[in-house]
Amino acid sequence: MNAQNPNNTLHAAITVKNLKKAYRGNAAPAVNNLSLSVAQGAIFGLLGPNGAGKTTLINILCGLRAFDEGEVSVYGYSLPAQWKEIKTLIGFVPQEIALYPMLTAYENLRFFGGIFGLRGAVLENSVNALLSQFGLEQSKHGYLKNFSGGMKRRVNLIAGILHRPKILFLDEPTAGVDVQSKNVILESLREINRQGATIIYTSHYMEEAETLCSRVAFIDEGKVICEGNPAEMVKQQPDCASLEMLYLQLTGKKLRD
Amino acid sequence: MNKLRFLIYKDVLLLVRDKAGLALMFLMPVLLAVIMTYLQDSTFHAVHENHIPLLLLNRDADSLGVAMEKQIAQSGIFDVRKTINGEPVTKEKLVAAVAKGDYMVGIIVPEQATVNIRKNVKRYIVGAFNGKALPAVADSVRVAVYFDPAIKSSFRTTLMSSMREYAVRTESDFIFNEIIAEVNRLSPIPVADVQLARNQVIFSEQYASLKAPDKIPNSTQHNIPAWSMFAIFFITISLSGNIIKEMDDGSYTRLRLMPCPYAFYLFGKIAVYFGVCMWQFAALMLLGVFVFPYIGLPSLDFGVNYFALAFTCTSSALAAIGYGVLIGKMAATHQQAAIFASVSVVIMAAIGGVWIPVFVMPRLMQAVSHISPLNWGMESFYAVFVRNENWASILPECAASLLFFGLCIGAAIWYNKRKRIDL
Repeated sequence: MNAQNPNNTLHAAITVKNLKKAYRGNAAPAVNNLSLSVAQGAIFGLLGPNGAGKTTLINILCGLRAFDEGEVSVYGYSLPAQWKEIKTLIGFVPQEIALYPMLTAYENLRFFGGIFGLRGAVLENSVNALLSQFGLEQSKHGYLKNFSGGMKRRVNLIAGILHRPKILFLDEPTAGVDVQSKNVILESLREINRQGATIIYTSHYMEEAETLCSRVAFIDEGKVICEGNPAEMVKQQPDCASLEMLYLQLTGKKLRD
Repeated sequence: MNKLRFLIYKDVLLLVRDKAGLALMFLMPVLLAVIMTYLQDSTFHAVHENHIPLLLLNRDADSLGVAMEKQIAQSGIFDVRKTINGEPVTKEKLVAAVAKGDYMVGIIVPEQATVNIRKNVKRYIVGAFNGKALPAVADSVRVAVYFDPAIKSSFRTTLMSSMREYAVRTESDFIFNEIIAEVNRLSPIPVADVQLARNQVIFSEQYASLKAPDKIPNSTQHNIPAWSMFAIFFITISLSGNIIKEMDDGSYTRLRLMPCPYAFYLFGKIAVYFGVCMWQFAALMLLGVFVFPYIGLPSLDFGVNYFALAFTCTSSALAAIGYGVLIGKMAATHQQAAIFASVSVVIMAAIGGVWIPVFVMPRLMQAVSHISPLNWGMESFYAVFVRNENWASILPECAASLLFFGLCIGAAIWYNKRKRIDL
């Protein structure tokens, strides 16, 4: 059944039921009978080792990838049938720097804002305000190829939030950045969330997820193995002092590919 | 429409900042057009203006040898030498000098050539006066012609046909004079010397044209269309690279997640690269009209059918763009796209007649040439520039180009849809 009631605020931001996805040539499915629900306004962390299925799940939720079985809906719109409608609601910040290196930061953001339908003063103000908020005003006319890793990550994030999406997907947004950039990124995510956006986020940094997320789900071998509020999850396991210890206890210490 | 404006502006910025790509798209075809036209023109001048070094060993030293020597010298094609460094030529020295490439041609007129011809003529005339059947030719004169081994066979054929023409002239003059002399010796009624009137049959050489009979096709008329087609098809490297780069760096993924139809994305690229093709055409046409005359090359004549010219430019440009989009969509990596695009364009140019005219190709290749989009474009250009034909005459070629564009874009859209469904 495909729900279609985007104005109903009782809807979860995301509902996933019995989702399955297998890649050709791989024996084990990347996502295996996974069910999940993310409430509107949550900051939801998808945590798991390499190859657990986090990126595949995010790509499916965004509509970038097809799935074999199950049901997926985003704000009441079902995938893949209503992908066009879903695209107007979401923002996406991929793991790689998905920008044009030969354009300046300002040109990149004007372009992506324009494609989202922002125009004139609204576009100018939005771009300039976010560049200023992320400490990039001075270097906005520099080519992106000359930016540091942290600066690129910040521009990458701005390109995903320019149009004020209702739901924001982030795939390891703080990977490889310095503490200052990381701090600005996380503060901005909290601010975006305060303004009403739902955030779905993957990371390998447990401490970061513990402080940022209202809920997290541990994913391993394509399944949700544990889900809840990070503080409560830790509290329920007396032998675990942190989310990272709980994570290691549940996913094991064996190296993953 | 505003989204399209943003897409076009982005692609224009990316294009103008890609200096290597711009050089490939504009400098390379200009250089090729200048060099190739200059080479073709200078080959023509090499035969008709720059004298070909010829070494002559005339062993006859009688009237036939002298007449042959005179004919060769009067042809104006050869720089005739009879000595090497002031020393007389021998057969061995002549062969060695030509083999080394010091001379392109060496000619040996054999001893007794005049005597033998006279003997033959005499036998014919005596036979004719006595009512006997004509005897077979005995002791025919064999003139040996040696060529530099490095000389191209087409050039050798041209030289040999010229040599034969001079030999026939010399022979006919000589035989006619000998017949008169022999008749005077045998007949009681003397016959006066008769000078053969030359050029009784005159070839009026002109190109068939329905609308501009005074128009003379030249190397520029052939090279500008050929290299224009080559240039616009070379945009496939830049265009496919641009598409793959967007996929590699993730910006295309971001675009896919935005409310922007794929048709807009494609149309933005088509519009920008269509502009590039038009600039390429304009640059090469202006080169042919304004620059070529200053460097001693023939000027380009546009013909009279501007609408047909615009139709040709448009359809050819779209064919090239469609091909570039398809390669960009199908290739897995930037390197793969660049190699495939450049090699396939070179192959299509070769079979399409950019380097070697289609009419000199073997029959099979002539048939194959009709599947090359470069051939369709070139044929249309020739029809407009050289034959002054209108748009209706070039419709089949232009329609083939437009169909090719449609098929390529259709395949790219299908592949994009298929790739989105599952990777």
